[in-house]
Amino acid sequence: MTERETQTLEEIEVSNLVPTVDALRVAGWRLVQVLGISAADHTELNYSFGLGLQHKILRLKVAAGAEVPSITDVFLAAYLYENEIRDLFGVKIERIAVDWLGKVYEPVQGKAFSKITVAATSSEGGPR
Amino acid sequence: MSDHEKPAPGPTVIPFGPQHPVLPEPLHFDLLLEDEKVVGAIPQIGYIHRGLELLVDKRDYLDYVHVAERICGICSFMHGMGYCEAVETVLGTQIPDRGRWLRTFWCELERVHSHLLWLGLAADAFGFENLFHASWRARETIVDVAEETAGGRVIFGSAIVGGVSRDPDDETLKRCMKAVHAVRAETLRLAEVWIGEPTVRHRLSGVGKITKDQAYSLGAVGPMLRASGVDYDARRRGYEAYGEIEFTTVVETAGDCMARAVVRLREIEQSFKIMDEVVAKMPAGPVSVPIKGMPPAGDAWNRVEQPRGEVVYFVRSNGTRQLERFRVRTPTFANIPAMVEAIKGASLADVPTIILTIDPCISCTER
Repeated sequence: MTERETQTLEEIEVSNLVPTVDALRVAGWRLVQVLGISAADHTELNYSFGLGLQHKILRLKVAAGAEVPSITDVFLAAYLYENEIRDLFGVKIERIAVDWLGKVYEPVQGKAFSKITVAATSSEGGPR
Repeated sequence: MSDHEKPAPGPTVIPFGPQHPVLPEPLHFDLLLEDEKVVGAIPQIGYIHRGLELLVDKRDYLDYVHVAERICGICSFMHGMGYCEAVETVLGTQIPDRGRWLRTFWCELERVHSHLLWLGLAADAFGFENLFHASWRARETIVDVAEETAGGRVIFGSAIVGGVSRDPDDETLKRCMKAVHAVRAETLRLAEVWIGEPTVRHRLSGVGKITKDQAYSLGAVGPMLRASGVDYDARRRGYEAYGEIEFTTVVETAGDCMARAVVRLREIEQSFKIMDEVVAKMPAGPVSVPIKGMPPAGDAWNRVEQPRGEVVYFVRSNGTRQLERFRVRTPTFANIPAMVEAIKGASLADVPTIILTIDPCISCTER
């Protein structure tokens, strides 16, 4: 029987991120990618996972200046995505297993993909 | 304290890249060595990051396809098509059958082109120049077919939102397939050398091995994943004409450099079969539908199997002619963690070969 493609999207809270991702790993899902989307006052992170042709997306919104736990303890391969998101969007990600210390895209202007306004940020100032 | 009582020194760090004879594009590793054995590798990318994704909110959504297809000079058509498919999902557009089948034809043409290109580069990397020449000679015919059917050796401008912009007639396609059949015979001869030649086996067999579990858990895709025994090919989604065509997902189990080469050799044969079927069953009719107006607000995800593996496209429309976000997760980006794992435990002399067997495309990675 041919497998049918499915796609599901679930919005989660930051506090549920690591347990939810770990449950997916235990159930046999693989990490597909992590996507950042910037808005004026927050950054949206979309973690997507695959199991055969099934595609599951976990979506969370990160307020300007808030921190997100790394999922590299669950899926080591997430380090590339997390380093990239931190560099390009300025999202604070805690304890990345392979930490490039903000130098993935060293020649690129810092937080180049961030649209977070100065007003929405903390005392650190604007994104650029 | 005498010399023999001193603690052993730590690993030696050898920089590899970003300029290296086997790397056409810049990628850097800090290789941690104990004697000649690699015990760790720290990758570094970011030398040529272009920020193409960021251009999406500055270009008309119908024009941005020209940017998307410039993510890569080999998979240019597939990148353009992947973007178009995502936009068509947002629009709710169904493209005509002939457009779908022509897209499938060019996808497989690019797959053969890419794999033959890789076979040549890999042969060159381990010093088998005759095999390099033979692979690239075969590839020349494939890019000639691309030129005859799509107007250029690199396929630009053929994928458009709503279908394709070119419509080679059936006679042209059948004539091109005669040339493709000649390449098929040549590729079978190349495969005999790749699989049977002892010097090739010596350099590739048992080298750079990653297990099925490692490949899967590290998010590997494409031949890197399938060579370790995981049966996953995004074409099984059935996009374009793939749902109506018979083909085999090529899987090997050894997980080493040779297995990755064999996967590509066998995939070339599958691509020839797909192209044969596509040309034989090519439907008549229009190749595109006109797209007018602004796209509705909404998101779309798309997954396409490129020669190097699964690519993930995401678009978000805010209801204007400029999309809010375009994202492409390329196969080389996904394969870097598995590549690092494959390097560990290898001899320093084998590192270039191992890196090449993931077929790294830094142009895609640094989109």
